[in-house]
Amino acid sequence: MLQCIFLLSDLGEVMLEKQLTGHWVDRSICSWFWDQSIAQGDSFKHLPVIASPTHYLFQVNREGVTFLACTQVEMPPLMAIEFLCRVADVLSEYLGGLNEDLIKDNFVIVYELLDEMIDNGFPLTTEPNILREMIAPPNIVSKVLSVVTGNTSNVSSTLPGATGSCVPWRKTDLKHSSNEVYVDLVEEMDATINRDGVLVKCEVFGEVQVNSHLSGLPDLTLSFANTSILNDVRFHPCVRLRPWESNQILSFVPPDGQFKLMSYRIKKLKSTPIYVKPQITSDSGTCRINLLVGIRNDPGKTIDDISVQFQLPPRVLSADLTSNYGTVNILSNKTCTWSIGRMPKDKTPSMTGTLMLETGVERLHVFPIFLVGFKIMGVALSGLKIEKLDFKNLPARPYKGFRALTRAGKYEVRS
Amino acid sequence: MAPPAQTHRSPSPSQPSGKGEVSDLKMQLRQLAGSRAPGTDDAKRELFKKVISCMTIGIDVSSVFSEMVMCSATSDIVLKKMCYLYVGNYAKHNPDLALLTINFLQRDCKDEDPMIRGLALRSLCSLRVTNLVEYLVGPLGSGLKDSNGYVRTVASIGVLKLYHISASTCMDADFPATLKHLMLNDRDAQVVANCLCALQEIWGLEATKSEEAATERETLLSKPLIYYLLNRFKEFSEWAQCAVLELVSKYVPSDSDEIFDMMNLLEDRLQHANGAVVLATIKLFLQLTLSMADIHQQVYERIKAPLLTLVSSGGPEQSYAVLSHLHLLVMRAPYIFSADYKHFYCQYNEPFYVKKLKLEMLTAVANESNTYEIVTELCEYAANVDIPMARESIRAVGKIALQQYDVNAIVDRLLQFLEMEKDHVTAETLVLVKDLLRKYPQWSHDCIAVVGNISSKNVQEPKAKAALIWMLGEYAQDMQDAPYVLESLIENWEEENSAEVRLHLLTAVVKCFFRRPPETQKALGAALAAGINDFHQDVHDRALLYYRLLQYNVFIAERVVNPPKQAVSVFADTQSSEIKDRIFDEFNSLSVVYQKPSYMFTDKEHRGPFAFSEEIGNLSVGAESTDNVVPAQRIEANDKDLLLSTSDKEESKGSSHNDSAYNAPGYDGSLAASSQADLVSLDYKPTPNVPSATFAIDDLLGLGLPATATPPPSPPVLKLNTKAALEPNAFQQKWRQLPIAISQETSINPQGVAAMTSPQTLIRHMQGHSIHCIASGGQAPNFKFFFYAQKAEEPATYLVECIVNSSSCKAQLKIKADDQSTSQAFSELFQSALSKFGFL
Repeated sequence: MLQCIFLLSDLGEVMLEKQLTGHWVDRSICSWFWDQSIAQGDSFKHLPVIASPTHYLFQVNREGVTFLACTQVEMPPLMAIEFLCRVADVLSEYLGGLNEDLIKDNFVIVYELLDEMIDNGFPLTTEPNILREMIAPPNIVSKVLSVVTGNTSNVSSTLPGATGSCVPWRKTDLKHSSNEVYVDLVEEMDATINRDGVLVKCEVFGEVQVNSHLSGLPDLTLSFANTSILNDVRFHPCVRLRPWESNQILSFVPPDGQFKLMSYRIKKLKSTPIYVKPQITSDSGTCRINLLVGIRNDPGKTIDDISVQFQLPPRVLSADLTSNYGTVNILSNKTCTWSIGRMPKDKTPSMTGTLMLETGVERLHVFPIFLVGFKIMGVALSGLKIEKLDFKNLPARPYKGFRALTRAGKYEVRS
Repeated sequence: MAPPAQTHRSPSPSQPSGKGEVSDLKMQLRQLAGSRAPGTDDAKRELFKKVISCMTIGIDVSSVFSEMVMCSATSDIVLKKMCYLYVGNYAKHNPDLALLTINFLQRDCKDEDPMIRGLALRSLCSLRVTNLVEYLVGPLGSGLKDSNGYVRTVASIGVLKLYHISASTCMDADFPATLKHLMLNDRDAQVVANCLCALQEIWGLEATKSEEAATERETLLSKPLIYYLLNRFKEFSEWAQCAVLELVSKYVPSDSDEIFDMMNLLEDRLQHANGAVVLATIKLFLQLTLSMADIHQQVYERIKAPLLTLVSSGGPEQSYAVLSHLHLLVMRAPYIFSADYKHFYCQYNEPFYVKKLKLEMLTAVANESNTYEIVTELCEYAANVDIPMARESIRAVGKIALQQYDVNAIVDRLLQFLEMEKDHVTAETLVLVKDLLRKYPQWSHDCIAVVGNISSKNVQEPKAKAALIWMLGEYAQDMQDAPYVLESLIENWEEENSAEVRLHLLTAVVKCFFRRPPETQKALGAALAAGINDFHQDVHDRALLYYRLLQYNVFIAERVVNPPKQAVSVFADTQSSEIKDRIFDEFNSLSVVYQKPSYMFTDKEHRGPFAFSEEIGNLSVGAESTDNVVPAQRIEANDKDLLLSTSDKEESKGSSHNDSAYNAPGYDGSLAASSQADLVSLDYKPTPNVPSATFAIDDLLGLGLPATATPPPSPPVLKLNTKAALEPNAFQQKWRQLPIAISQETSINPQGVAAMTSPQTLIRHMQGHSIHCIASGGQAPNFKFFFYAQKAEEPATYLVECIVNSSSCKAQLKIKADDQSTSQAFSELFQSALSKFGFL
């Protein structure tokens, strides 16, 4: 039961206000919120549930835009937060990004979307496929069309077909001239390596993303070679759960376009593709850093976009860092980034340098934590493998494409 | 209400910046209104956009209302939508002008395009103007019968909107019955879900007024309906599923077969992509199996993986909400999660409130097998740059140490912290080492060796300093230079700002004296002299006490000051188990995020799921508490020493069973809520009438204090009705209506407090003075009472809220009265009754 949704810019300006129930929420609540968030800094900015003197507020921040929802009654907090996240997702898909100008230029569409997504505080439809049929996105095609045809409405004149169909995420009479479907495995590796170089925790969070352009009402089955490694899975509503429970097969009628078929988690992985070895010694007012990066377990594909980022500890006056490969950048907020890019074949990248400490500080007590980034195309590091993808109920054999990608998630090396 | 910063920005193309444009807009709209030339719609659209963007940034454009309505005759759906939006925004404040819009909205409700019918109906219901409801009934009625699902969806919610504008109109048109019919028969699942939401709300609110609605509300939870909804479950959208799950969790299944059927049906929901559905399912499962211990256990096992996945997927916001729930479950059943401790490891760039929850969970799941690894991990955080985080981690290590039997390794770690030579780490560790020693005196040897090396000059925080001084006094015989360290501390007596430290210093030096008299004698003399001259009352009194004790008999003094101590075995919990259970019952709600049951932070009006209020300032989790919603409350609890002595623990345990259950028959938390108002009105005046009892004590001690006492309160002239009676509901109502007449603080005599082992004694005492108690509660040292009394001759009532702090012998009174003029007299009467407490 949300009462009101506000969209705030990164300066705290109310860009949009959508009252949902008869219980009007005064927009002064936004000034209260903004004053508080200025007064209390970052930790408040990220606190998702806040109690104001009059309302409970839920906030979600996306790219500088704050989505703020208000209520006065008890409700499941996750429902509100989840809904705001969906609103953010849908808006950024519609507008091709999220920022102040985009929202201000398209606020009519935003109002229209909110109108369909929530009524009287109850969330209705958040499925992007259905929304797209109700309200056309402001893309180039529709702009061109409107100029050509003279019909400037971006609201489709018919109701979405899916509202009447038994498969709510798909309309019945889809037609594509080229039938194709792409399945991507996208994995993020989270790892923590402690001071002694021991892998404390390593797990993979993965998603199966499908981009489907198929005619009619196709029925797909996707199976994996090694489902036993999956620790926990979550599915798009289109997946039938019985076949999964009995045979670990994903059987589904796909929505049209891009969607997230399944997400999974794989725990207790034993190794990481690269290693990062920091060596830090600190005495007599300086601190020497030596950082080595190399391949630990060759994944068989090139490792790209390698970077190491860390925050210089407080009480460091200056830093002089050089590397034998890639570039080192130090920002004014004391963030150091060493971008290595692709792993070289012939040498081991290393970065060395000296940190000068403030006068009077003999040695550093706190050493930085290194956040590592990388990307490997063509490999799902968890080892999950797609076995096959079958179709039923399709006139012609469609084109199938499979891809895989692993990147670093929260990958940190302590020193 | 736009912030000033906005003026510095270059306005975006569609965003007008000034107010002068409004009259311009009005002119242009008027020109367009009658025009039928081609291209008018485009021009109108531009203008409408401008009007609405003015509205959005907070410029009042209600003056163009009639022009907007005139322009609304169009077939363009975007124009219509913008117009609906505009009308919805301003109709409430311009009810007369709103009448103008009825006509075109009603016409649109009959449009052949279902989309337009739906939109028009939605806008019509959103006007919320009371005198226009008669125009609503017709379109709503036909909307509910519309052939298109979209329109029916809108109409079913529209009924609810109508109900909020005018309940009687809604009931007279018999809409609830129509909704019920739709709910049971409609083929569109979204219509069913909307009807369900609307009916829950309408019948929930009607139930208090009519018997019939109450039974209808019951039927929502009847077996056939629940089964009907569950059978159609997969047709519902994810949000509707949440609503249905919420309803089902209130249903009480008749036998275990039913429970298993439901769980089998819904088990796959745990794998839903929408976290809200997953959490609602978890709540249902937990509720269903509450009475079946072993199944309940299995449910925990089953929900573990989905919850842990939810935490690590999704944005930080979702993650926090899930984490709060996970926290609750971990605290209830730590052993189930003990193998998954690695999930609670903190990530470097997580926000502090997330880390804090994780630390608490790590502390809870620690057991024999994983303690070593958890403590190793925590030690890495202790070296963290972030000082609050480092402190919390050290506290967590301490808590684990206090939980475990094998503390060997942990003590070593703690002692390593002391060697890190960081002030905040040292301070925090000292406090913990002190607590550890109170529980495990056998470790004193190792600890003291390290503590002895710490220079007291490096310890500045009062708590740490007090802990260090306590150890100096307690283990004076093991520390070579204890007397000399104490002596140097006493030399700096004047510079010591914290009374707590000075108190500890006094006690420590006396203890030290008993063990090493010759070395300490000088320091003792200096300390007592400084203490007796101290301006702080407690320090002064304690110094005087020690002085006289020592003068009277040194051996007795030793028995008083330094009796043999028992090791503390159990520690008081910060939250009572009753509260924890209550929060658990409110799983999947805000209570979990705040770690408080809802009655502690919600007003009664808001407790129901659908009650709103438009007044300002009635949520009791007020502005001031936002900054410390959860964490601060806990930190505070931590600061109050981890330890209570064993006897304290038993006492508070006993009282928590007896007293925290509120005694009032119809108690539903609103008293607690209304008392939150205390937070706001801090205007207590210290009472001018110091009860004579305190002077009696002073005399007892033979202190030649000048007797500047004001005379005891003059005998009251007010007569109270001995048989006054007041219903709890009436009390609540009155309490809310009446202003506070008198609010002050008064003292109770210590004998009375001593007699107050339970709130009952005071209640009986006050009853003897014709002041009756309607509700009481609290735990030592804080008790809270609500009293009432009536005048003997006339039915004028007095209401009192009385908070007694038995450790400071203070009572805070808040008096409300029907008859304001006699409230002062009543206050005196009340205080005189209170001051006699304990003598009878």
